[in-house]
Formats: sequence, C-alpha cells, structure tokens
Amino acid sequence: MNARQLMILRLTTGPTEEVGETPHGTVSIFPVTGGTFDGDRLRGKVLEGGGDWVTARADGTLELDLRVTLETDDGARIYMTFTGIRDDTSHYFRTTPRFETAAPQYAFLNRLLAVGVGEISPDGPVHVIEEIL
Amino acid sequence: MKTRLLMTLNVRVAPPTDIGPVPHGTRRIARLAGGDFEGPRLRGTLVPGSSADWLLLRGDGVLELDLRVTLRTDEGALISMKSFGLRHGPPDILAAIGRGETVDPASYYFRTTPRFATSHPKYAFLNRVIAVATGDRRPEGPVYTIHEVL
Repeated sequence: MNARQLMILRLTTGPTEEVGETPHGTVSIFPVTGGTFDGDRLRGKVLEGGGDWVTARADGTLELDLRVTLETDDGARIYMTFTGIRDDTSHYFRTTPRFETAAPQYAFLNRLLAVGVGEISPDGPVHVIEEIL
Repeated sequence: MKTRLLMTLNVRVAPPTDIGPVPHGTRRIARLAGGDFEGPRLRGTLVPGSSADWLLLRGDGVLELDLRVTLRTDEGALISMKSFGLRHGPPDILAAIGRGETVDPASYYFRTTPRFATSHPKYAFLNRVIAVATGDRRPEGPVYTIHEVL
C-alpha cells in the first residue's frame, strides 16, 4: 500500500472525564487542550476544544473517536476526526483520520483517506499520519 | 506504513436505487447481489441480504462510499464489514466508469478503510485491525484489495 507523509500531530489533553460503564463499554473522554501539527504541506496548532471519546470494549481493546480543530499557520481551519483502535497488549494504536476544510489551499484534504500510527508520549498522544495514495 | 494483504473482495452490484438530492449531496443506494473474498487467512462469500453501498455524490465531485457487507467464511462464520471510502478522478475516467467500461484503476482515486466485527474466535483478530483498501470499479462491480495496517 502506497502512502505519503501528511503530518505529525501532537495533542495535549486535560483531565479525563470518566463517564463509566455504558451499554457499549467503559467510556472515558479525553479533552484536547491544544497541540501542534507539522508536515511538508501544512503546519499549525490544535485549537482548544474537542476530544477523544474512548470506549473500552469487553475484549480489552479501546475504540477511539476523536474530533479536533486544526488551525494552519496561514489561518485556515481544518476539522479533523478519526476513529481507531488501541490495544496496549499488542502495542497496536492505529487510526483512520478524515479532514474537512473550506480553505482552497487545503482542499486536497477533503479528498484523501489517511492512516495514523499513534503512541502515548510523556507530553500526550502523538500521531504520525500518512495519506493513502 | 506497513501493511499485509488481508483479502481480495469481489462484489457484484444490483441495479441501484436513487434517492436523489439530499442536503449533503446526491444519494444513491447500490445493493449487492453477491460476491466472494479470498485471502491467506480467510475466504468465503458475501451474504447479499443487507449488503449494500450507500453512495453520496458531494458538491465537490467526490463520491463518498459507505459500504456495509456481511461475509460468510467457508466454515460458516459471519463477519460484518463496514467501510468508509472516497472515489474521485478525471471527469472522462469517471464518465467511462459510468458507461460500464473497464478503466485502469490507477487513473482515479478509489480508497476505503474497512472495519470488521465478528464473534467467531478464529477471526477475532479482525475485531482489532484497521485496514485500508484500494478499489477497482469493474463493469460487474468493484474489486477491493484489502490490506491490514500492521
């Protein structure tokens, strides 16, 4: 599968909001307080707000459901979402980000699918995101 | 990105149902008449009942795909697969596809991100994988080459 680097996304998060056991699993919400993103074609900061809605399933796997807003260094706003899977026993942390923007210079983001490889660094989650070519 | 072949899924489409213009674009539902899949770790057939692709042609010309299919492996396990995808390309290529012609799949963008759910222990690994697929719209229906993201 051919892919091309899109960005490295670094998120900072606030205190976890533990929703607890729900019919689908144990839900925890990780609010996003900020962050940065950097790639060849776009860079900027993550706006405060949004978060990752994480459901711990009965099979030990975490289901991720993230929504954040990115602001590029030239002032464009990009709405980014992903769903994904995190399985700490096998160190598997993969996501499929999607993007929406009205900015013409970033309209290519509306037309691509991507895959992220995540890890939890001491400063917060880091996602290495590649465009699927 | 490291990937590994999961399966090739061949799908046969039935005549589509047009919903028409909706707030987000133009909606069309393509029911699936059948199909089969084969890979190193699983093979079987597509269960036609509920399997379909809920298509949305956006205002920017991109076709959003929302495929839901039920797979039955050769030993009878059922696997639910859902995949979101995008298809777009040069107008002449898309017109040729619309006329039912065979075109080079490298001449347009047709990618999806399948997710799986099953209760069968042999295939439980599918519950834990993210996958990406490249599509090839043949006249009888799409062929998806699906890779597990490692």
